[in-house]
This record gives sequence, structure tokens and C-alpha cells, in this order.
Amino acid sequence: MDSLNLGRHISGQFNEDLDRILNQVMQMGGLVEKQLSNALSAVNNSDKELAIKVHQNDYKINNMEVNIDDECTRIIAKRQPAAGDLRLIMAIIKTITDLERIGDEVKKIAQVALISVNKDQKALLYNLDNLGRRVLEFLQLTLDAFTRMDVESAINNHKNDEKVDREYEALMRQLMTYMMEEPRTIPQVMDVIWSARALERIGDRCQNICEYIIYFVKGKDVRHIAMEDVQAL
Amino acid sequence: MISVSSNTFSDRDVKLDLANLSAEQTALDIKNLNLYYGDKQALQNITMSIPKGQVTAFIGPSGCGKSTLLRCINRMNDLVDICKISGEINLHGDNIYQRHVDVAALRRKVGMVFQRPNPFPKSIYENVVYGLRIGGENSRRILDEAAETALRSAALWNEVKDRLHESALGLSGGQQQRLVIARAIAIKPEVLLLDEPTSALDPISTLTIEELINDLKKQFTVVIVTHNMQQAARVSDQTAFMYMGDLIEYSDTNTLFTTPLKKKTEDYITGRYG
Repeated sequence: MDSLNLGRHISGQFNEDLDRILNQVMQMGGLVEKQLSNALSAVNNSDKELAIKVHQNDYKINNMEVNIDDECTRIIAKRQPAAGDLRLIMAIIKTITDLERIGDEVKKIAQVALISVNKDQKALLYNLDNLGRRVLEFLQLTLDAFTRMDVESAINNHKNDEKVDREYEALMRQLMTYMMEEPRTIPQVMDVIWSARALERIGDRCQNICEYIIYFVKGKDVRHIAMEDVQAL
Repeated sequence: MISVSSNTFSDRDVKLDLANLSAEQTALDIKNLNLYYGDKQALQNITMSIPKGQVTAFIGPSGCGKSTLLRCINRMNDLVDICKISGEINLHGDNIYQRHVDVAALRRKVGMVFQRPNPFPKSIYENVVYGLRIGGENSRRILDEAAETALRSAALWNEVKDRLHESALGLSGGQQQRLVIARAIAIKPEVLLLDEPTSALDPISTLTIEELINDLKKQFTVVIVTHNMQQAARVSDQTAFMYMGDLIEYSDTNTLFTTPLKKKTEDYITGRYG
């Protein structure tokens, strides 16, 4: 955390407050990552019990969001942070919102483990798992960049969303074809589509978090600007 | 069809290019200003332009030279024997340090308010019209009008209109400070210098003065020195950060308080200095 230069405030209490909040964000990130990984194995192994556990654990992520928001509000009221401290607090508040929404998307993915699929339909889940692995890796790299506030890695990672989008589109085409060929399977395939959509949304949210890291470190707001401009930073 | 221009949301934050202000935009142009107290150099080659009709704040730790720089703007440092100054301060294009400059006339154009309210031991009314009286104005009607206008501008009229001829020393600290501001603006200066104007006041009086500063910039160019960084962030349009006699960073306040360019500035405004 020293690269963040957090330990040098004249107020030791302020150092401790920021340190504690950052630890909580990392714990929240770790929990979200674990939830996604569990949801993917639940889908892959049709493990209904694990899928239910993922659903049940979501409240922990929600509680963490509320607690961290509360701590950030208190810091703003008591310390009136400026410059890097202010950007850090803003980045944290926005990151935890995205993490909480990732938690909600993970629940949708776990839903697929609860549907019954026959052997032929297993192939669909296989492709969903591939997309899932790519998104999980994207999330891990993003959280890693956040932990170290590593702007280089955030910039590199930012473009991973494009790969996720391409894979999602390919999966969608495949699922459409499947539905046209086997209209009976539409209800099951729709569940897979929702979950692929949820994975694609997680990719978008990871990209958002990369943007907050860039904002914190460089002070540049790179939301809604062209990918090439972000890469040129 | 509603068209939304891409800069709809940023229009209210039009940034001035501080390094290239036009003559019409500039109130004060400081060039290569060096100041020595004896052998000790207190200001090092300060060059900056202060825009007209805006609030510019100087911030920095104690002894960084911010009050010294402020006092240079109406030549208050002339009163210090061991003080030597080189460089220029141009007020609307004229260097105030030229030999022929009448310092009293300069100080009518560049008013100043200090840290502690310093009303004269006279009535409220006499305090406000003091500058006009010593300027030779004796018409009762003109003095009455000027007193009312200045007191209204200083947001004090409603509180004192029924006791204008009572002693100014009976006012509260916050009211006294606003009275002193009224006295400074009664003679219609071009620039108003405020040297930590709220540091001796309670939070509510401080907010009243801050609100007043925001109104004053419609008529005057305001330069304020403050120890309170949040105050600089709240009231000023431009902020200059000074450290050990150097001007470290000078930019629009929004940028300086969210994304300062220099590490020293960042350390100071985030409380890491020390």
C-alpha cells in the first residue's frame, strides 16, 4: 500500500481510516471473486447446492457495500479529503457499487445450475463456462490492479472487455442457431442467454473499475472515451 | 429534436488560461518579483497574472511568503525598513513600483482587510465614510449614499441601519470585520486584498464573510490569503500554492484541489506536509 502514499498523513487516525476502508474493499473484492468462481463451478457441475449457497451469500456483499459507503461518508464529513485522497474515496465509492452489482449478476449466473439440461444441451454450458473463465480472469486482474493501484495494469486490463464482448457475441450467435434448430429448448437456452448476458455485464463493470483506478492514479476521467485514447495514456 | 452539445455540463466551469490572460482579463500582472528581508529572500521570482473580477487565493504553510506577496500588491512592505524588492507588479498595465507612483493613491485603488478586525474608535457611519472624508468629500448626501451602498455590499446594512451613529467597537467580531470590508469598498477600490479575513471569526461569521466574498467579486478583483484550505476551495476561482517563497503551482481552484500537478501541492492539501 505504500505506493499509494497513504501512510504519510500528519493525522495517524486518517491513515488508519483509509487503510481500514481499503482492506474492506479488498475483502469485498475477494468475496465477489469467490462467488463468481463458485457460480461457474455450480453451473459446470450442475451443483444445485453450491448454486443455492451463492444465492444465500450475496447478502454479505450487500452488507459490505453499505458498511464501506458509511465509512466513506464519515471520512468525507470529518476530513474533507482533497486531491489524491478525494479521488481515492470517489474511486472506492464507485468501485464498491460495481462490485455489488457484479454480485447481483453472479446470482443470475448461478441460476443456470438450477435448470435441468440433457446431454446435448451440455455443450451450451461448456461454451458458457469458457466465457465465464475469461470473465473471472478479467475480474481477478482488475482486483489485483486495484489492490496495487497499478495504473499500467489497469490500462492493459481495460481492453479485456473487448475480448469478453467478442466472445459473448459468438456465444449469442451459437445460442440463436440452437434455438432456431430446437425450438423446444428455448426456455433452457434463454436461461443460458441471461447468464451469458450477466457475464458480459461483469466484464463492463470490471472495465469501469479499471477506469476508477486510472482516475485515482492519473487524475484523468477516462469514462466514455475511445479505447485508443485510454491505451495512449 | 433536442440537441445536447458535448460541453453542456462544463460550460459553467469556463477555465481561464492563466499563463496567457489578455490585457482586458488581467487585473494584476506580477513579473519576476523578488523580495528580501535583509539577507533573507522571502519571495523568489514570482510571476503570475491575477484575473479581473475573480477571487484568487494564496495558500501555503506559515512563512511561505503568501502574506508578503499580498502586502506587495499595495506596497505595505514599503513600511518595512529592511525590505528590498525587485521586479514588477502591474495594475492594469502600470507598474506600481515605479518611482513616481503615489502610494496613498495606489492604496485607494487596492484596499486591504486584515486578519483581526480593526475598526476605528468612531461610529459605524464614520468608519465607513472615513476614506471618503480624508479624500475631501464633505457632501452629507454623497457620504450617506456611499455609507449605505458600502454597508449593503458588505451585507451589514440590515444589522446596523438603526444604529449608524453608535460606536463601531460595540459590534461583534464578524460584524466588525464586515464593517472593515465596507470601509475598504466605500472608496471603490479596483482590487480588494484580504489577509486571512476570517481567522479570528466563528464558523457562522466565517460563512457570512465567504458569502460576501462571492458577491464582492462582481464589483472588485479579490485576492485572499487563507490558512484554511477548505475556505480557499470554497471561495476562490484561482488558487496559488506557495512554499518557501516559491510559487509552486497556480491554477484554477477545481483543478488544484482535485488533480494538482505538483507533488508538493498534493502533499500540502492532503495534509501530508510536515
